[in-house]
Amino acid sequence: MKNSKKKILIIDDDEKHIMATKEILENEGFEVYFHLNSFGATNSAIEIKPDLILLDINMPALSGDNLSKLLSTNEKTKSIPIVFYSSNDEDTLRKLVVEHKVKGYICKGNISELKRKVFSYLL
Amino acid sequence: MEHAEKSLVVGKLITSKESIHPYVTTRQVAERFFNIQNLDALALVEENMPVGIVTRTKLLFKLFRRYGFELYERKPIITISDKNPLIVKEDESLDTAIDKALKRSPEDIYDEIIVTDDSGFYKGLLSVKQMIIQQSNVLANSIIQREMANAKAKEFEELNKIKSQFIANVTHELRSPVNVIIGLAELMRVSAERGYVEQLKDRISLLMSTAINLRAIVTNILDLSKIEAGKMEVIYEHFDIVTLIREVADTIKVLLGNKPVDVILNLPENSLIINSDPVKVRQIITNIASNAAKFTEKGKITITLEANNNNAIVSISDTGIGIKDEDIEKLFVAFTQLEDSKTKRHEGTGLGLTITKNLLNLIGGNISVSSKFGEGTTFKITVPSKNE
Repeated sequence: MKNSKKKILIIDDDEKHIMATKEILENEGFEVYFHLNSFGATNSAIEIKPDLILLDINMPALSGDNLSKLLSTNEKTKSIPIVFYSSNDEDTLRKLVVEHKVKGYICKGNISELKRKVFSYLL
Repeated sequence: MEHAEKSLVVGKLITSKESIHPYVTTRQVAERFFNIQNLDALALVEENMPVGIVTRTKLLFKLFRRYGFELYERKPIITISDKNPLIVKEDESLDTAIDKALKRSPEDIYDEIIVTDDSGFYKGLLSVKQMIIQQSNVLANSIIQREMANAKAKEFEELNKIKSQFIANVTHELRSPVNVIIGLAELMRVSAERGYVEQLKDRISLLMSTAINLRAIVTNILDLSKIEAGKMEVIYEHFDIVTLIREVADTIKVLLGNKPVDVILNLPENSLIINSDPVKVRQIITNIASNAAKFTEKGKITITLEANNNNAIVSISDTGIGIKDEDIEKLFVAFTQLEDSKTKRHEGTGLGLTITKNLLNLIGGNISVSSKFGEGTTFKITVPSKNE
C-alpha cells in the first residue's frame, strides 16, 4: 500500500511555500519531499526518484528554468516529469514551459489548481 | 532641418556695414582705422555700389613702407585699394561663398567679402573666417544632433527595459506573499479541522507577518504611483516622534520573527514633538528599518533619535550584510535592487528607498548612508520641524 504512494519532490527557496504545499499534497495522499534552493537539487532527485518534480522559478543563484535544463539532460533524472510551480504570471510560465519542454506549469496560490494538475500530471 | 542649415545664406552672416566714399583721402581712412580698434576693412561704396575694398592690414602695410605715408596720404583711397574685390550676392549659400573666396589668387584673399543684394547694391561685409566657423558649427551641430538622437533612442530603450523589468519584478513580489497567505489559510483550515490549536496559532502568526509584509509592498507601489502623478499631499501636524519610533520598532520585531536580532532604542526620556507629516515620517522610518530587518540575520538593529535645532535626526544602524561602496550610488535609483531579479535572495520591489527619498523631499528632509560590506549599515534621516 505504501509503495503505491506517488512521490513528489518540491524544489523551492521559500520555506513557507514548501511547508504549505507539502502539507496540502500529503493530505491528498502523496509522499512529499522537498529540497531548499537549487544547489544539490539534482542529487536529491537522483536519491529520491520522485514521480513528479514541482520546480520554483525564482531562486537565488540558479533559477528554476535553468535547473530544469540540467535535470532534463542528466541521464539519471531526465525521465522525471517537471512542472514549473511559480508566482510568476501565467503567460510567462506558459512561455517557459514551451521553451524548456517541461511537462507543464502550476500557478502558486490556487489550491484547487494545484491538486487538480498534480493528479493529472501523475496519471 | 539639417539640409536647411547647410544652405545657410551669406546675407545672414554680414559682420559689418562699414563703408567709405572712394575719394576720401588715404590719410582720413588711416585715421578711421586708427580710431576704431575693431574695424578690419572698409568697402568703398559710391552711390550705393561697391567699387573696392581696403583692409586695415593692407593699408598699414602700404603706409608704413618707406615714404609710404608721404606718398599716399593725400591720394584718394581708391588708388591703393583692391578694385576687384570679391562680391557675393546676399542669397548665395555659405558653401559657394567659401569656395569663391578661397579660389582667389593668394594676394587677393583676405578675410572680408563684399555682400550686395540682387541689384548689386552694397549690403555689408562678410568675414570668411566667420563663414568657415559657421560651417564647422553646422557640421558639429549635425554630428551632435545625430549623437543626441542616438543617445535618446538608447535612453528610451533603457527606460523600456527598466519598465519591463519593474513589471516582472513587481508581479512576482506581489504575488508571492499573496500565494503564501492563501497556502497558509488552507493549512489553518486543516489545523482547525483537526483541532490542532498550537499548530493553528503558529500558522496564524506566520500569516500575520506575511500579510504585514505584503501591505508594505502594496503601500510602496501605490505611493510611488501617487508621487509620479503629483498627487502626494503633505499634511502637517504636531506629533511625538518618540512614540512613533516605538511603534515602528514593534512592527520591526514582528518582521524579525525568530531571527536572533535585537532591536535597541536610544530615545530621549521625554517626548519630542515636531511639526511634520506623521504618516510620511512613519513610512520613511518603517521603510529603512524594514530593510535593516530584511538584511540582518543576527546581531542588532539600533534606532537613535537626536534633536538638533529644529530637526529630528533618526539613525538606524544594523549589523547586516552591508552595502558595497560602488553600490551606494545606485541605492536611491528607482527600481534598482542590488541583485538580479530571477536569482536575488531578498524580497522587495526595489521601490522602498526611492519612495523614501521622494517622501523626504516632500517634507523637506534628507537621508544619508554609510556602510561596511559584511559588517553593517547606518542610515541617517533628518526630519525638519516646520516653523509656523
